[in-house]
Amino acid sequence: MQSKDRDALEYLYDHYAGALLGVISRVIKKEEIAEEVLQDVFLKVWDKMESYDSSKGKLFTWMLNIARNQAIDKTRSKEFSKEKKTGDIDNFVNRIDNEDYVEQKVEAIGVSELLKALPDEQRFIIDQHYLKGYTQSEIAEEFNLPLGTVKTRMRLAMKELRNLLHIA
Amino acid sequence: MNIEEYISSGILEAYALGELSDQERSEVEKNLTVFPLLREELTRIEEAQERLFMAAAVVPRSATKKNLFEKIDVQQAPARVIQMPQENSRIGFWKFAAAASVTIALISSYLAYDYWNRWRKTESNLSDLMAQNQRVAQDYNTVNQRLDQIENDLGIMNNPDFQRVVMKGTPNAPSAQASVYWNASTKEVYLSIQDMKELTDQNQFQLWAIIDGKPVDAGVFDNNFAGLLKMKDIATGAVTFAVTIEPRGGNESPSLETMQVAGNVIKG
Repeated sequence: MQSKDRDALEYLYDHYAGALLGVISRVIKKEEIAEEVLQDVFLKVWDKMESYDSSKGKLFTWMLNIARNQAIDKTRSKEFSKEKKTGDIDNFVNRIDNEDYVEQKVEAIGVSELLKALPDEQRFIIDQHYLKGYTQSEIAEEFNLPLGTVKTRMRLAMKELRNLLHIA
Repeated sequence: MNIEEYISSGILEAYALGELSDQERSEVEKNLTVFPLLREELTRIEEAQERLFMAAAVVPRSATKKNLFEKIDVQQAPARVIQMPQENSRIGFWKFAAAASVTIALISSYLAYDYWNRWRKTESNLSDLMAQNQRVAQDYNTVNQRLDQIENDLGIMNNPDFQRVVMKGTPNAPSAQASVYWNASTKEVYLSIQDMKELTDQNQFQLWAIIDGKPVDAGVFDNNFAGLLKMKDIATGAVTFAVTIEPRGGNESPSLETMQVAGNVIKG
């Protein structure tokens, strides 16, 4: 049983570590710290495996939430404040403008390739919301858009993305 | 609730991304259980989101995985050993449960067998006791009847209306002796024997009363009784009682040559 759990964890790692590191890296820029957080995420997954409730969402969603929270917690830790923070909005915006926002590694499939087919405004929202981790109201505030507009674009973008991915 | 509006509000996306407050979150979770449409929509959102993040994956260095699993092995190994009995995997629990149930089964079948044996022993003890009890009760009855009889006999012997006639042994049986208790007014006759010889199965003693010089049958008896034996009624006028040996069932007239005892009624 124990080794089965370990096998399960290894499967999850092989399958999802990249996606989760992508999420973490967008909050924590420094590679070593991001990968440290990734380890913490999987340790937490290992500890809390039993508490996962499939009625509340998919396994990836559960792990994603752990990763986001873990990353955000890390930015608030004392240890982290010594490091250079990357939660700076200007940084992100610059990175978007430069189109080199993920500098660490080559992305597995290439999200820009995926999002290319979307209208600019929708791609922008998805990028900000999903990849940069801004909340919808933060986006509205930052880019001077009505919250309703952000939400509508968000919905449309996700629908479009679903079409692209053939998710009926 | 308007489901379309609810979906359009983007709350499911926010839920999937873990952006809701605890309160909003539990509301969504409640709604998910009530409206299957919401669940379907959420699943599609999660799928798109997952694909998006997979596409935006950043491959970790291989050392990270190695470090992680080293930590897990180190962290889990000692803890597991200690926590084995309580927190351990379900299989461990089932193993323990299976072992426990086998043990319990063994113990309980031994106990069942043991109790069955004891029960059998107890049951046989009980039937012994019941039989014994029955014997005691029978004995008691016998004694009681005997006592009644003795009381009865004693009443007769002490009754002044009864006259005792002692019959002494004849030359045929010099040591033989018997007595008759006779109530002349009620005609009742009781016999008690003190010493009468054994007879064969073909013969019986017969008691006679001599009235007006003629023998009158007063009944037959064996020598196997104690106390007083009620005989046939004898009317007034008997002067002598005598016992002869006759064929079983009695004789019409006495065989005088076999006379065992005889005694005269003493006129009061």
